[in-house]
Amino acid sequence: MSRLRKDPRAERQERQVAAAGRRPRIDVGHREAKAASGRLRRDPWREWSASLVGESRRKRYDRSQRQMEHGNSARLTRARARDGVEATEISPGQPAVRVIDEPAFLVFAVITAAGGRLSRLDRQLLGAARLLADAGDGGGAAVAITAAFDPVTAKDLARSLGEAGADRVLSVPGDIHPSGTAAALRHHVEAFAPRHMLFAEDGDSADLARRLAVSLNEPLFAGVEHLTPRSAVRALRNGTREVALAPPLLMTLGEDRMKPYESGPCEARPLDIEVGPFGGDPAILSVEIIPGDPASLALSETDFVVSAGNGVSDFAAFGDLAAVLKATPGASRVVCDAGLMPRAAQVGASGTVLAADCYLALGISGAPQHLQGIAGCEHVIAVNTDLHAAMIERAGLAIVQDAQLVMPALVKLLAERQA
Amino acid sequence: MKTIVLLSDARNPVSGRQQLSRLEAQAIGLAAGLCEKPRGLHAGSGEDGVSAGLGHGLAGLDIIDLPATDDPLPALAGFIAKAMGGAGAPELILCGRRGEGGEETGLVPYRLAETLGLPILADAVAIRAGEIAGTLVVDQAMAKGARRRVTIKLPAIVTVHSLAPPPMPFAFGRMRRGEIRHHEPLERLGLPDTAARSDASAEERPHRARPKLMRQSGTASGGPNLHVGPEPDEAARLILDYLEANGIRRYGSS
Repeated sequence: MSRLRKDPRAERQERQVAAAGRRPRIDVGHREAKAASGRLRRDPWREWSASLVGESRRKRYDRSQRQMEHGNSARLTRARARDGVEATEISPGQPAVRVIDEPAFLVFAVITAAGGRLSRLDRQLLGAARLLADAGDGGGAAVAITAAFDPVTAKDLARSLGEAGADRVLSVPGDIHPSGTAAALRHHVEAFAPRHMLFAEDGDSADLARRLAVSLNEPLFAGVEHLTPRSAVRALRNGTREVALAPPLLMTLGEDRMKPYESGPCEARPLDIEVGPFGGDPAILSVEIIPGDPASLALSETDFVVSAGNGVSDFAAFGDLAAVLKATPGASRVVCDAGLMPRAAQVGASGTVLAADCYLALGISGAPQHLQGIAGCEHVIAVNTDLHAAMIERAGLAIVQDAQLVMPALVKLLAERQA
Repeated sequence: MKTIVLLSDARNPVSGRQQLSRLEAQAIGLAAGLCEKPRGLHAGSGEDGVSAGLGHGLAGLDIIDLPATDDPLPALAGFIAKAMGGAGAPELILCGRRGEGGEETGLVPYRLAETLGLPILADAVAIRAGEIAGTLVVDQAMAKGARRRVTIKLPAIVTVHSLAPPPMPFAFGRMRRGEIRHHEPLERLGLPDTAARSDASAEERPHRARPKLMRQSGTASGGPNLHVGPEPDEAARLILDYLEANGIRRYGSS
């Protein structure tokens, strides 16, 4: 929609004639109402056409609060909203991708994007950056800063960054010591002078935020609990007090504090900037990364869980499968009660609530308490004989087949692929 | 190697009594594995909470008497700088990743490192002495159970992650035997104070608990992702393709 959003109250205020007496008097002939905000009108036609499911005669709409995928947003621009009318005709001039050519100011979000994929917290950080960039009159640009942005995987990552709300992408050298990364970040801050800068209150990002705060000699607003364009709130003094102020330059954000960005995709244009070589820390003699062993990881720490339920009877084969899949083994309550798996492996409300990215459920029907335990998993794969099981409904890939037959087939196929 | 553990003014969130922060108790456990007589250092008022550190494995405790409202950083920096100049200089300074009870920004170790010119490493879960004398091998916690093993030259400051081994059990007799020394804050290393420069609009008020976002369930299976009764080999291929397409694992050549 290319027209500006109307503000009827402001228009009414504008038309009001100053007059003595109690009754407000309106000048009906007054036509010069100025737009109160620079925001565009929302277009319900496009939203409805984007949530149209299938191409059958009877219209079916999916109105769940699901994050818009790239395919959907592409469909949103192409879809025929009404017969014979293209969506672009309904809202001419509106680009499919949101472009901010000359940003009024910048908001940096430093994200990890481990393995070239955005985590929940990364999306939430970009959502917060988008919120601050659109604050007030808007016109700001959200800049994603990541060390994972390399040319090989750049296309996929740039697309998902755009969907998550990033207007620009900046890269920092990643494989150097944290003091070097902090120096590169400082270089970016001095070059672009962002209005705000957001970090994750977690792992290396938290470390970087503090190094940068010390190096810039700026206060750090750590662990923001509540963020709006006007105020940021964080707890202090053992969680008994809180402090609120206008969002400062440096902030760190914990998980599940901000909503991710959910509207149409942004541009994610890579910014080219020369970053000089930053020397490592002379005190650090060697660095070695030791990957985590999924078999020995705690369920709450791992990223991929393969879980057995009542449909699995051969637990030796299940253990082998978990090992070759490089996944952490889990189990449902029934299996743990029967003593076939240790209690520590139980997934669900009375076991472990997972924070994993992916969950492969073998022979699990999906009791409500079990589904609570996997509520945070982004990808769920279900193998079950019952077509009407709750787990089949929940899963992103549902296979109605006996798990006992699928397990050896998986092991065989993995051996073939790795050979 | 001589080790100092920095202790903060943690309080019980319910009763408000002084207590030892769990993260610092874990730091004491790590220090006790390296050094026979680790010492604690606390700048603040009162010793009720931090003296529990003696029961968890500290040999002695230095307390710099400061009013609770004062910034502890200059006094800490002055004390450590003086100790490093003398005999038996501390080589390793351990602390939690975020102290409790004050502003809780987690900046104290970083400012201390800046003032004293020491290297700093964050999020240690295991520490041992390096093969070369005067070095330290630190395992840093990373996401998804990975560890980064860093060898660093001493002296250094290291902050401790909550995934470090649990603290040593508390022993009352050990706490009674421990020696507590009180010091006056004689020497203060001047630092530019950013807290004073912070926004004038800052408003401090009683904390209000704010709920976190609900974790929404992910995508549900639509038409194309539901497969009824495929051959087991076909099912296995579908599962592996799904895993690789979503970037969960790569089972190819590597």
